[in-house]
Amino acid sequence: MTGRVIVITSGKGGVGKTTTSANIGTALAKAGNKVVLIDTDIGLRNLDLLLGLENRIVYTIVDVVEERCKLKQALVKDKKNPNLALLAAAQTRDKSAVTQEQLKDICEELKKKYDFILLDCPAGIEQGFQNAVAGATEAIVVTTPEMSAVRDADRIIGLLEAREEIESYKLLLNRVRPNLIKENDMMSVEDVVEILSCKLIGIIPEDTGIITSTNKGEPIVNVEKSLAGQAYRNVAQRIMGEDVPFLELDKQENAIIAKIKGIFAKLKGKV
Amino acid sequence: MRDLFANLYSRVVNFFKSTEEIGEQTKEVARNRLKLVLMQDRTNLTPAVLERMRGELINLLSKYVELDKELLDLNFEQEGDQMALMLSIPVVRAKTEEEIQKAIQEDEAIKDVALADDDEDESSDEDEVKEEDKEDEDGVNNEGTSEESGEDEEEKEEEPSESEPTEENEEETEEKTAPKSQKSKEKEAKAEETSEENE
Repeated sequence: MTGRVIVITSGKGGVGKTTTSANIGTALAKAGNKVVLIDTDIGLRNLDLLLGLENRIVYTIVDVVEERCKLKQALVKDKKNPNLALLAAAQTRDKSAVTQEQLKDICEELKKKYDFILLDCPAGIEQGFQNAVAGATEAIVVTTPEMSAVRDADRIIGLLEAREEIESYKLLLNRVRPNLIKENDMMSVEDVVEILSCKLIGIIPEDTGIITSTNKGEPIVNVEKSLAGQAYRNVAQRIMGEDVPFLELDKQENAIIAKIKGIFAKLKGKV
Repeated sequence: MRDLFANLYSRVVNFFKSTEEIGEQTKEVARNRLKLVLMQDRTNLTPAVLERMRGELINLLSKYVELDKELLDLNFEQEGDQMALMLSIPVVRAKTEEEIQKAIQEDEAIKDVALADDDEDESSDEDEVKEEDKEDEDGVNNEGTSEESGEDEEEKEEEPSESEPTEENEEETEEKTAPKSQKSKEKEAKAEETSEENE
Protein backbone atom coordinates (compact mmCIF):
# COMPACT_ATOMS: atom_id res chain seq x y z
CA MET A 1 0.00 0.00 0.00
CA THR A 2 1.20 3.49 -0.76
CA GLY A 3 -0.79 6.20 0.95
CA ARG A 4 -1.23 9.75 -0.22
CA VAL A 5 0.50 12.47 1.75
CA ILE A 6 -1.42 15.75 1.77
CA VAL A 7 -0.30 18.94 3.49
CA ILE A 8 -2.95 21.39 4.67
CA THR A 9 -1.51 24.87 4.61
CA SER A 10 -2.54 28.52 4.34
CA GLY A 11 0.19 31.03 5.09
CA LYS A 12 -2.08 33.14 7.24
CA GLY A 13 -3.02 31.95 10.72
CA GLY A 14 -6.57 31.54 11.91
CA VAL A 15 -8.18 30.65 8.59
CA GLY A 16 -8.99 27.11 9.66
CA LYS A 17 -6.09 24.82 8.79
CA THR A 18 -6.40 22.75 11.94
CA THR A 19 -10.20 22.60 11.77
CA THR A 20 -9.92 21.52 8.15
CA SER A 21 -7.32 18.88 8.97
CA ALA A 22 -9.42 17.42 11.78
CA ASN A 23 -12.59 17.36 9.70
CA ILE A 24 -11.15 16.03 6.47
CA GLY A 25 -9.22 13.41 8.41
CA THR A 26 -12.30 12.31 10.32
CA ALA A 27 -14.44 12.28 7.18
CA LEU A 28 -11.89 10.21 5.26
CA ALA A 29 -11.68 7.76 8.13
CA LYS A 30 -15.47 7.56 8.37
CA ALA A 31 -15.52 6.67 4.67
CA GLY A 32 -13.40 3.63 5.48
CA ASN A 33 -9.87 4.90 4.81
CA LYS A 34 -6.97 4.43 7.17
CA VAL A 35 -5.85 7.94 8.09
CA VAL A 36 -3.04 9.50 10.10
CA LEU A 37 -3.17 13.16 11.08
CA ILE A 38 0.21 14.71 11.83
CA ASP A 39 0.33 17.97 13.75
CA THR A 40 3.50 19.70 12.53
CA ASP A 41 2.82 22.87 14.49
CA ILE A 42 5.45 22.09 17.12
CA GLY A 43 5.19 24.38 20.14
CA LEU A 44 1.60 25.39 19.32
CA ARG A 45 -0.22 22.11 19.11
CA ASN A 46 -4.00 22.21 18.78
CA LEU A 47 -5.07 19.35 16.55
CA ASP A 48 -5.36 17.12 19.63
CA LEU A 49 -7.89 19.56 21.12
CA LEU A 50 -10.11 19.60 18.05
CA LEU A 51 -10.19 15.81 18.03
CA GLY A 52 -10.73 15.62 21.81
CA LEU A 53 -7.58 13.55 22.24
CA GLU A 54 -5.59 15.94 24.42
CA ASN A 55 -5.67 13.63 27.44
CA ARG A 56 -4.47 10.57 25.59
CA ILE A 57 -1.18 11.83 24.25
CA VAL A 58 1.83 10.09 25.71
CA TYR A 59 4.46 10.51 23.00
CA THR A 60 4.84 13.21 20.36
CA ILE A 61 6.52 13.52 16.97
CA VAL A 62 9.63 14.86 18.72
CA ASP A 63 9.82 11.72 20.86
CA VAL A 64 9.71 9.65 17.67
CA VAL A 65 12.44 11.71 16.01
CA GLU A 66 14.64 11.58 19.09
CA GLU A 67 14.02 7.83 19.38
CA ARG A 68 12.42 7.82 22.80
CA CYS A 69 9.61 5.70 21.34
CA LYS A 70 8.65 3.87 18.18
CA LEU A 71 6.46 5.55 15.59
CA LYS A 72 3.66 3.09 16.28
CA GLN A 73 3.66 3.93 19.98
CA ALA A 74 3.21 7.64 19.31
CA LEU A 75 0.12 7.19 17.17
CA VAL A 76 -2.98 7.99 19.23
CA LYS A 77 -6.13 6.21 18.09
CA ASP A 78 -9.31 8.25 17.79
CA LYS A 79 -12.04 7.74 20.38
CA LYS A 80 -14.72 6.74 17.91
CA ASN A 81 -12.98 5.76 14.75
CA PRO A 82 -10.27 3.08 14.88
CA ASN A 83 -9.27 4.04 11.31
CA LEU A 84 -8.07 7.45 12.49
CA ALA A 85 -4.82 8.13 14.32
CA LEU A 86 -3.05 11.27 15.47
CA LEU A 87 0.66 11.96 15.69
CA ALA A 88 0.74 14.97 18.00
CA ALA A 89 3.20 17.84 18.05
CA ALA A 90 5.35 18.55 21.08
CA GLN A 91 4.19 21.57 23.02
CA THR A 92 7.44 22.39 24.79
CA ARG A 93 9.76 22.53 21.77
CA ASP A 94 10.02 24.62 18.62
CA LYS A 95 10.06 24.05 14.87
CA SER A 96 13.76 23.18 14.79
CA ALA A 97 13.09 19.98 16.77
CA VAL A 98 12.18 18.11 13.56
CA THR A 99 13.99 18.37 10.22
CA GLN A 100 12.59 18.02 6.72
CA GLU A 101 14.36 14.69 6.27
CA GLN A 102 12.99 13.29 9.51
CA LEU A 103 9.44 14.27 8.60
CA LYS A 104 9.91 12.77 5.14
CA ASP A 105 11.06 9.49 6.71
CA ILE A 106 8.04 9.40 9.02
CA CYS A 107 5.70 9.96 6.07
CA GLU A 108 7.45 7.27 4.03
CA GLU A 109 6.99 4.78 6.81
CA LEU A 110 3.34 5.69 7.42
CA LYS A 111 2.59 5.49 3.68
CA LYS A 112 3.09 1.74 3.86
CA LYS A 113 0.24 1.21 6.30
CA TYR A 114 -2.17 4.08 5.77
CA ASP A 115 -4.28 5.40 2.88
CA PHE A 116 -3.97 9.06 3.82
CA ILE A 117 -1.39 11.00 5.77
CA LEU A 118 -2.60 14.56 6.44
CA LEU A 119 -0.05 17.12 7.60
CA ASP A 120 -1.47 20.05 9.55
CA CYS A 121 0.95 22.83 8.65
CA PRO A 122 1.81 25.76 10.94
CA ALA A 123 1.09 29.30 9.81
CA GLY A 124 3.85 31.23 8.11
CA ILE A 125 6.33 30.39 5.37
CA GLU A 126 9.34 29.63 7.55
CA GLN A 127 10.91 26.39 8.67
CA GLY A 128 7.69 24.89 10.02
CA PHE A 129 6.02 25.30 6.64
CA GLN A 130 9.05 24.04 4.77
CA ASN A 131 9.21 20.96 7.01
CA ALA A 132 5.55 20.10 6.59
CA VAL A 133 5.62 20.53 2.80
CA ALA A 134 8.76 18.40 2.46
CA GLY A 135 6.92 15.20 3.29
CA ALA A 136 3.89 15.81 1.06
CA THR A 137 3.10 15.27 -2.61
CA GLU A 138 -0.27 17.05 -2.55
CA ALA A 139 -1.45 20.24 -0.90
CA ILE A 140 -4.69 21.86 0.16
CA VAL A 141 -4.43 25.62 0.48
CA VAL A 142 -6.97 26.96 2.97
CA THR A 143 -8.08 30.55 2.64
CA THR A 144 -11.05 32.78 3.44
CA PRO A 145 -12.63 35.46 1.23
CA GLU A 146 -10.62 38.17 2.98
CA MET A 147 -7.87 40.18 1.39
CA SER A 148 -5.09 39.25 3.79
CA ALA A 149 -5.91 35.54 3.65
CA VAL A 150 -6.08 35.55 -0.17
CA ARG A 151 -2.81 37.43 -0.46
CA ASP A 152 -1.07 34.94 1.82
CA ALA A 153 -2.63 32.04 -0.10
CA ASP A 154 -1.19 33.48 -3.30
CA ARG A 155 2.24 33.55 -1.71
CA ILE A 156 1.85 29.95 -0.54
CA ILE A 157 0.75 28.84 -4.02
CA GLY A 158 3.88 30.47 -5.43
CA LEU A 159 6.04 28.57 -2.94
CA LEU A 160 4.23 25.28 -3.63
CA GLU A 161 4.73 25.68 -7.36
CA ALA A 162 8.44 26.08 -6.79
CA ARG A 163 8.62 22.71 -5.01
CA GLU A 164 8.99 19.77 -7.33
CA GLU A 165 7.66 17.19 -4.88
CA ILE A 166 4.22 18.86 -4.80
CA GLU A 167 2.36 17.27 -7.72
CA SER A 168 -0.96 19.04 -7.20
CA TYR A 169 -2.53 21.63 -4.97
CA LYS A 170 -6.10 22.76 -4.54
CA LEU A 171 -7.94 25.57 -2.86
CA LEU A 172 -10.33 25.24 0.06
CA LEU A 173 -12.37 28.37 0.65
CA ASN A 174 -13.34 28.52 4.29
CA ARG A 175 -15.70 30.70 6.33
CA VAL A 176 -17.77 31.77 3.36
CA ARG A 177 -20.71 33.98 4.33
CA PRO A 178 -23.38 33.82 1.61
CA ASN A 179 -25.31 36.73 3.12
CA LEU A 180 -22.35 39.08 2.93
CA ILE A 181 -21.57 37.94 -0.60
CA LYS A 182 -25.17 38.62 -1.56
CA GLU A 183 -24.86 42.15 -0.25
CA ASN A 184 -21.57 42.58 -2.11
CA ASP A 185 -19.73 42.99 1.13
CA MET A 186 -17.57 39.94 0.68
CA MET A 187 -15.63 38.61 -2.28
CA SER A 188 -17.47 35.72 -3.88
CA VAL A 189 -16.11 32.23 -4.44
CA GLU A 190 -15.70 33.10 -8.13
CA ASP A 191 -13.73 36.24 -7.27
CA VAL A 192 -11.23 34.35 -5.14
CA VAL A 193 -10.87 31.50 -7.62
CA GLU A 194 -10.31 33.98 -10.44
CA ILE A 195 -7.74 35.97 -8.49
CA LEU A 196 -5.76 32.92 -7.39
CA SER A 197 -6.43 30.92 -10.58
CA CYS A 198 -6.39 27.70 -8.59
CA LYS A 199 -8.70 24.71 -8.68
CA LEU A 200 -11.26 24.42 -5.88
CA ILE A 201 -11.64 21.39 -3.67
CA GLY A 202 -14.22 22.81 -1.30
CA ILE A 203 -16.36 25.70 -0.14
CA ILE A 204 -17.08 25.71 3.59
CA PRO A 205 -19.75 28.08 4.91
CA GLU A 206 -19.22 30.00 8.12
CA ASP A 207 -20.91 27.96 10.81
CA THR A 208 -21.28 28.70 14.52
CA GLY A 209 -21.41 24.96 14.95
CA ILE A 210 -17.64 24.94 14.45
CA ILE A 211 -17.21 26.77 17.75
CA THR A 212 -19.45 24.42 19.70
CA SER A 213 -17.90 21.36 18.08
CA THR A 214 -14.44 22.63 18.99
CA ASN A 215 -15.64 23.18 22.55
CA LYS A 216 -16.66 19.55 22.69
CA GLY A 217 -13.60 18.21 20.91
CA GLU A 218 -15.72 16.63 18.24
CA PRO A 219 -15.20 17.42 14.52
CA ILE A 220 -18.26 18.90 12.85
CA VAL A 221 -18.34 16.19 10.18
CA ASN A 222 -19.83 14.00 12.91
CA VAL A 223 -22.83 16.34 13.08
CA GLU A 224 -25.12 15.08 10.35
CA LYS A 225 -27.26 18.21 10.01
CA SER A 226 -24.47 20.75 9.90
CA LEU A 227 -23.93 22.49 6.56
CA ALA A 228 -20.22 22.96 7.25
CA GLY A 229 -20.04 19.29 8.19
CA GLN A 230 -21.66 18.37 4.89
CA ALA A 231 -19.23 20.62 3.02
CA TYR A 232 -16.26 18.91 4.70
CA ARG A 233 -17.67 15.47 3.96
CA ASN A 234 -17.94 16.53 0.32
CA VAL A 235 -14.29 17.62 0.35
CA ALA A 236 -13.29 14.20 1.65
CA GLN A 237 -15.23 12.56 -1.16
CA ARG A 238 -13.56 14.79 -3.74
CA ILE A 239 -10.17 13.84 -2.33
CA MET A 240 -11.18 10.20 -2.84
CA GLY A 241 -11.78 11.02 -6.50
CA GLU A 242 -15.57 11.32 -6.52
CA ASP A 243 -17.25 14.04 -8.49
CA VAL A 244 -19.40 15.82 -5.92
CA PRO A 245 -21.08 19.13 -6.86
CA PHE A 246 -20.33 22.13 -4.66
CA LEU A 247 -22.99 23.20 -2.16
CA GLU A 248 -24.96 26.11 -3.50
CA LEU A 249 -24.72 28.35 -0.49
CA ASP A 250 -26.43 31.34 -2.05
CA LYS A 251 -29.55 29.29 -2.63
CA GLN A 252 -30.22 28.18 0.90
CA GLU A 253 -33.96 28.54 0.43
CA ASN A 254 -33.75 25.80 -2.17
CA ALA A 255 -32.00 23.40 0.14
CA ILE A 256 -34.90 20.96 0.01
CA ILE A 257 -34.99 21.05 -3.77
CA ALA A 258 -31.23 20.55 -3.83
CA LYS A 259 -31.66 17.52 -1.62
CA ILE A 260 -34.25 16.08 -3.94
CA LYS A 261 -31.97 16.81 -6.87
CA GLY A 262 -29.19 15.05 -5.01
CA ILE A 263 -31.35 12.00 -4.53
CA PHE A 264 -32.21 11.99 -8.23
CA ALA A 265 -28.52 12.34 -9.09
CA LYS A 266 -27.75 9.34 -6.89
CA LEU A 267 -30.52 7.32 -8.52
CA LYS A 268 -29.20 8.25 -11.93
CA GLY A 269 -25.74 7.14 -10.89
CA LYS A 270 -27.08 3.76 -9.86
CA VAL A 271 -29.11 3.28 -13.04
CA MET B 1 -47.68 64.62 11.44
CA ARG B 2 -47.75 63.74 7.79
CA ASP B 3 -44.48 65.56 7.24
CA LEU B 4 -42.95 63.64 10.07
CA PHE B 5 -43.88 60.34 8.44
CA ALA B 6 -42.65 61.50 5.07
CA ASN B 7 -39.41 62.58 6.64
CA LEU B 8 -39.05 59.27 8.44
CA TYR B 9 -39.86 57.36 5.26
CA SER B 10 -37.25 59.17 3.22
CA ARG B 11 -34.71 58.68 5.97
CA VAL B 12 -35.33 54.97 6.09
CA VAL B 13 -35.16 54.70 2.30
CA ASN B 14 -31.98 56.74 2.21
CA PHE B 15 -30.48 54.62 4.94
CA PHE B 16 -31.05 51.46 2.95
CA LYS B 17 -29.90 53.10 -0.23
CA SER B 18 -26.67 54.31 1.34
CA THR B 19 -25.84 50.97 2.91
CA GLU B 20 -26.51 49.33 -0.42
CA GLU B 21 -24.17 51.68 -2.20
CA ILE B 22 -21.42 51.25 0.35
CA GLY B 23 -22.02 47.51 0.19
CA GLU B 24 -21.51 47.46 -3.54
CA GLN B 25 -18.28 49.29 -3.07
CA THR B 26 -16.57 47.29 -0.34
CA LYS B 27 -16.43 44.05 -2.27
CA GLU B 28 -15.16 45.74 -5.41
CA VAL B 29 -12.72 47.82 -3.39
CA ALA B 30 -11.33 44.67 -1.79
CA ARG B 31 -11.13 42.90 -5.13
CA ASN B 32 -9.34 45.73 -6.89
CA ARG B 33 -6.94 46.44 -4.06
CA LEU B 34 -6.13 42.76 -3.81
CA LYS B 35 -5.57 42.39 -7.55
CA LEU B 36 -3.18 45.31 -7.56
CA VAL B 37 -1.21 44.15 -4.57
CA LEU B 38 -0.99 40.58 -5.92
CA MET B 39 0.34 41.80 -9.23
CA GLN B 40 3.02 43.69 -7.37
CA ASP B 41 3.79 40.59 -5.27
CA ARG B 42 3.95 38.30 -8.29
CA THR B 43 5.97 40.51 -10.58
CA ASN B 44 8.33 42.06 -8.02
CA LEU B 45 7.34 45.41 -9.46
CA THR B 46 7.02 47.91 -6.65
CA PRO B 47 4.82 50.98 -7.15
CA ALA B 48 8.02 53.00 -7.66
CA VAL B 49 9.23 50.66 -10.41
CA LEU B 50 5.81 50.70 -12.05
CA GLU B 51 5.89 54.49 -12.02
CA ARG B 52 9.31 54.43 -13.64
CA MET B 53 8.06 52.02 -16.28
CA ARG B 54 5.14 54.33 -16.92
CA GLY B 55 7.47 57.30 -17.32
CA GLU B 56 9.70 55.43 -19.78
CA LEU B 57 6.71 54.31 -21.79
CA ILE B 58 5.45 57.89 -21.98
CA ASN B 59 8.85 59.07 -23.24
CA LEU B 60 8.96 56.31 -25.83
CA LEU B 61 5.45 56.76 -27.15
CA SER B 62 5.57 60.55 -27.10
CA LYS B 63 7.92 60.39 -30.09
CA TYR B 64 5.12 59.20 -32.30
CA VAL B 65 1.89 60.55 -30.81
CA GLU B 66 0.93 63.25 -28.39
CA LEU B 67 -0.48 61.56 -25.32
CA ASP B 68 -2.52 62.60 -22.37
CA LYS B 69 0.18 61.77 -19.85
CA GLU B 70 -2.14 62.05 -16.87
CA LEU B 71 -4.61 59.51 -18.20
CA LEU B 72 -2.15 56.91 -19.42
CA ASP B 73 -3.15 53.74 -17.62
CA LEU B 74 -0.81 50.84 -16.98
CA ASN B 75 -2.17 47.67 -15.45
CA PHE B 76 -1.61 43.98 -15.13
CA GLU B 77 -4.47 41.67 -15.88
CA GLN B 78 -4.79 38.00 -15.23
CA GLU B 79 -6.62 35.70 -17.57
CA GLY B 80 -6.30 32.17 -16.33
CA ASP B 81 -2.62 31.35 -16.18
CA GLN B 82 -1.72 34.16 -18.56
CA MET B 83 -0.72 37.54 -17.28
CA ALA B 84 -1.04 40.53 -19.56
CA LEU B 85 0.29 44.05 -19.31
CA MET B 86 -2.54 46.37 -20.28
CA LEU B 87 -1.69 49.81 -21.50
CA SER B 88 -4.40 52.31 -22.24
CA ILE B 89 -3.20 55.48 -23.95
CA PRO B 90 -5.49 58.40 -24.62
CA VAL B 91 -4.14 60.11 -27.75
CA VAL B 92 -4.55 63.89 -27.71
CA ARG B 93 -3.29 64.57 -31.22
CA ALA B 94 -1.54 62.68 -33.98
CA LYS B 95 1.90 64.07 -34.71
CA THR B 96 2.75 65.47 -38.13
CA GLU B 97 5.07 63.56 -40.41
CA GLU B 98 7.81 66.12 -39.85
CA GLU B 99 7.60 65.78 -36.10
CA ILE B 100 7.79 62.00 -36.34
CA GLN B 101 10.75 62.12 -38.74
CA LYS B 102 12.52 64.53 -36.45
CA ALA B 103 11.98 62.24 -33.47
CA ILE B 104 13.27 59.27 -35.47
CA GLN B 105 16.35 61.16 -36.55
CA GLU B 106 17.11 62.17 -32.99
CA ASP B 107 16.69 58.58 -32.01
CA GLU B 108 19.04 57.36 -34.74
CA ALA B 109 21.68 59.79 -33.55
CA ILE B 110 21.49 58.27 -30.08
CA LYS B 111 21.54 54.76 -31.55
CA ASP B 112 24.72 55.48 -33.56
CA VAL B 113 26.49 56.41 -30.38
CA ALA B 114 25.21 53.24 -28.79
CA LEU B 115 26.36 51.19 -31.80
CA ALA B 116 29.84 52.60 -31.50
CA ASP B 117 29.86 51.39 -27.91
CA ASP B 118 28.65 48.00 -29.09
CA ASP B 119 31.59 47.67 -31.49
CA GLU B 120 33.96 47.99 -28.57
CA ASP B 121 32.04 45.30 -26.77
CA GLU B 122 32.19 42.89 -29.71
CA SER B 123 35.25 41.08 -28.33
CA SER B 124 33.37 40.18 -25.18
CA ASP B 125 30.46 38.96 -27.30
CA GLU B 126 32.80 36.54 -29.03
CA ASP B 127 33.88 35.23 -25.67
CA GLU B 128 30.28 34.43 -24.95
CA VAL B 129 30.02 32.55 -28.23
CA LYS B 130 33.06 30.50 -27.27
CA GLU B 131 31.40 29.59 -24.02
CA GLU B 132 28.29 28.52 -25.85
CA ASP B 133 30.45 26.31 -28.08
CA LYS B 134 31.85 24.59 -25.04
CA GLU B 135 28.39 23.90 -23.77
CA ASP B 136 27.39 22.54 -27.15
CA GLU B 137 30.32 20.13 -27.13
CA ASP B 138 29.00 18.70 -23.91
CA GLY B 139 25.51 18.51 -25.33
CA VAL B 140 24.61 15.21 -26.96
CA ASN B 141 21.50 16.28 -28.82
CA ASN B 142 22.46 16.98 -32.41
CA GLU B 143 19.20 18.71 -33.26
CA GLY B 144 19.56 21.19 -30.44
CA THR B 145 22.98 22.35 -31.58
CA SER B 146 21.95 22.73 -35.18
CA GLU B 147 18.99 24.83 -34.12
CA GLU B 148 21.21 27.06 -32.09
CA SER B 149 23.65 27.56 -34.92
CA GLY B 150 20.69 28.41 -37.11
CA GLU B 151 19.69 31.08 -34.68
CA ASP B 152 23.20 32.46 -34.72
CA GLU B 153 23.00 32.91 -38.48
CA GLU B 154 19.70 34.70 -38.21
CA GLU B 155 21.14 37.11 -35.73
CA LYS B 156 24.04 37.77 -38.04
CA GLU B 157 21.74 38.59 -40.87
CA GLU B 158 19.73 40.95 -38.76
CA GLU B 159 22.60 42.84 -37.19
CA PRO B 160 24.01 44.47 -40.30
CA SER B 161 20.58 45.34 -41.67
CA GLU B 162 19.80 47.33 -38.57
CA SER B 163 22.98 49.39 -38.69
CA GLU B 164 23.59 51.93 -41.44
CA PRO B 165 24.70 50.04 -44.54
CA THR B 166 27.96 51.91 -45.08
CA GLU B 167 30.86 50.06 -46.73
CA GLU B 168 33.01 50.15 -43.63
CA ASN B 169 30.34 48.59 -41.57
CA GLU B 170 29.76 45.83 -44.07
CA GLU B 171 33.45 44.93 -44.18
CA GLU B 172 33.60 44.84 -40.45
CA THR B 173 30.64 42.55 -40.09
CA GLU B 174 31.96 40.26 -42.80
CA GLU B 175 35.26 39.93 -41.03
CA LYS B 176 33.55 39.12 -37.83
CA THR B 177 31.06 36.68 -39.21
CA ALA B 178 33.70 34.66 -41.02
CA PRO B 179 35.30 33.13 -37.92
CA LYS B 180 31.90 32.61 -36.41
CA SER B 181 30.65 30.55 -39.32
CA GLN B 182 33.80 28.45 -39.17
CA LYS B 183 33.12 27.86 -35.56
CA SER B 184 29.57 26.85 -36.17
CA LYS B 185 30.80 24.30 -38.72
CA GLU B 186 33.24 22.98 -36.15
CA LYS B 187 30.40 22.90 -33.70
CA GLU B 188 28.30 20.74 -35.97
CA ALA B 189 31.19 18.43 -36.69
CA LYS B 190 31.89 18.00 -33.01
CA ALA B 191 28.27 17.41 -32.22
CA GLU B 192 28.23 14.65 -34.85
CA GLU B 193 31.33 13.10 -33.31
CA THR B 194 29.77 13.06 -29.86
CA SER B 195 26.58 11.52 -31.13
CA GLU B 196 28.57 8.84 -32.93
CA GLU B 197 30.53 8.12 -29.78
CA ASN B 198 27.35 7.70 -27.90
CA GLU B 199 25.96 5.32 -30.45
